[in-house]
Amino acid sequence: MHNAHQADVIFGLSPVLFAGSLFVLTYLLIITERLNRAVIAMMAAALMIIGGVLTQEAAVQGVDFNTIGLLTGMMIIVGITRDSGVFQYLAIRSAKVVKGDPWGILVMLMFVTAVLSAMLDNVTTVLLIAPVTLLITDTLKLSAYPYLFAEIFASNIGGTATLIGDPPNIMIGSATGLGYNDFLFNLAPISIFILLVTIIPIYFIWGRHLKADPELIEKVMQYREIDAIKDWALLKKSLLVITLVMFGFIFGHDYGYQPATIAMFGAAILLVLNCLPHNQEKQSELVARALGEVEWITIFFFIGLFILVYGLESTGLLGTVARHVIELTDGDKTVTALSILFVSAVASAIVDNIPFVATMIPLIKNMAASFGGAEELVPIWWSLALGACLGGNGSLVGASANLIVAGFAERSGQPIRFLPFMLMAFPLMLGSVAISAVYVYFRYL
Amino acid sequence: MNTSNAAGAMDPNPTTLNPDDTIGRAADYIMKNRYRNVPVVDENFCYVGMFGVNCLLKQVIPKAVFMRDGLRNVSFIHESFDDLFQRFAEVKDQPISICMSHEIKPVAPDTPLTETMMQLYNTRASIPVVEPGTCKLLGMISYWEIGEKILAAGLTAGENKDA
Repeated sequence: MHNAHQADVIFGLSPVLFAGSLFVLTYLLIITERLNRAVIAMMAAALMIIGGVLTQEAAVQGVDFNTIGLLTGMMIIVGITRDSGVFQYLAIRSAKVVKGDPWGILVMLMFVTAVLSAMLDNVTTVLLIAPVTLLITDTLKLSAYPYLFAEIFASNIGGTATLIGDPPNIMIGSATGLGYNDFLFNLAPISIFILLVTIIPIYFIWGRHLKADPELIEKVMQYREIDAIKDWALLKKSLLVITLVMFGFIFGHDYGYQPATIAMFGAAILLVLNCLPHNQEKQSELVARALGEVEWITIFFFIGLFILVYGLESTGLLGTVARHVIELTDGDKTVTALSILFVSAVASAIVDNIPFVATMIPLIKNMAASFGGAEELVPIWWSLALGACLGGNGSLVGASANLIVAGFAERSGQPIRFLPFMLMAFPLMLGSVAISAVYVYFRYL
Repeated sequence: MNTSNAAGAMDPNPTTLNPDDTIGRAADYIMKNRYRNVPVVDENFCYVGMFGVNCLLKQVIPKAVFMRDGLRNVSFIHESFDDLFQRFAEVKDQPISICMSHEIKPVAPDTPLTETMMQLYNTRASIPVVEPGTCKLLGMISYWEIGEKILAAGLTAGENKDA
């Protein structure tokens, strides 16, 4: 119990029943998408406090500020960097490297998307890559569907590879103390392998049919990618800060620096470098713009969820569920890890993986004693990360990035429909999870 | 007619287009007459939207530019008039209804002159005057219409003073 002043009866219900009902209701509301998810999470968090499950002080303790700080810091850095035009440059350059060949462009855009998703975040990556993709496919008079489909997969697979690539990894890293290098050494190899394997079915389904008129290819080759760089000074500053932040993630863990500290420090340095040459009025404008790039809906969604899950945990309900899970798997770590991998994947394909992982973290932590200590949980954490991140590929609603890409497709007049996408994506996702299961089994179990 | 409201400022016989007119024909028409925007009405003279030069520009520039969250920087694209025409040729036989604007909100005939002027300033395009409770187009208010009327008022005031 985290809350010394928890009420015995709340609106005629026990705290367990109240918190459990609130949790289920919140999940249902998030799934229906009738209300903005941040509003739902904030309302649920407020009800946890008003209902007496948590005090305000306990609720604040429940918020994982390492996750919030890391997300906010990276959003500021990426928001400033994108103004330099470097991401467009990379996308166009990758198309020209393969001499405008349609299949080559698809593969290159997949790699660029995966790498950027690993280094930045999925949503920002697809926001930057999808418009360039539509421009290229429009020029080549090709359907954008295979390209956008491949980019959705690449963004979720790339995001799996690092601590900062996907919100579930950020949450897992923050809750467990697993650092950037831990994610890099444990998840990047399998992510690269899955990305390479994913290219094969995409080739056989679409790639081998992709052909374009040489005259149109020539038009793509006429794009001057260097002109995409709008601000060289900003580009240099941004690349310097991103490099420093990456070094910070890699080496900072050994010195006790949390990722949030590094990301926020990086954001602060970039803001200083960006503001310094300007007068006060311009500085205010630049800072307001940079802070405006932060996805506050996501941030408040996280804050609300952390409080909701913390409230649920404080009632002891998650501990009870954890014991039942262990009973179900007979306390077998292999069965538990692989079950969590597949359940996380399927659940993340259906519902937002952020609330799912937020709930699973305290649940898994509660299993530590049964498995002989927190260190024994490491394979289960990797299973959760792989399942939750890769599961996002299973349907159009599986990850925020998927919906962003679908929005672009809709606006370009080439909509990605829920069912046709799922018919292709779900088996491919299950394949990637099966590969992950083999990897987890042989490497950790 | 009350001259201090929208009805007094409008042209009651505006040029109109039909939603089924092709983009090619409408383009010829607005280019020949140097119109920026022309109201689109159906067979019952019901106002359904505006068609103008912005719609034409949208058709000849890559879609990825104008869509929400589209390309912020297009300086790397170097196209010729031929490229732009090819894009136009692909849509010229389509009806104007696919790209007419619904963003320009009509005003009622009794809208006070100052409010009408403010809307004209904010819209930066001619605004339609529509019968309240129906969608019947009564007229159009353009910068030129308003400008001429303001200047004419000055002349009348001067003549009265001289007399």
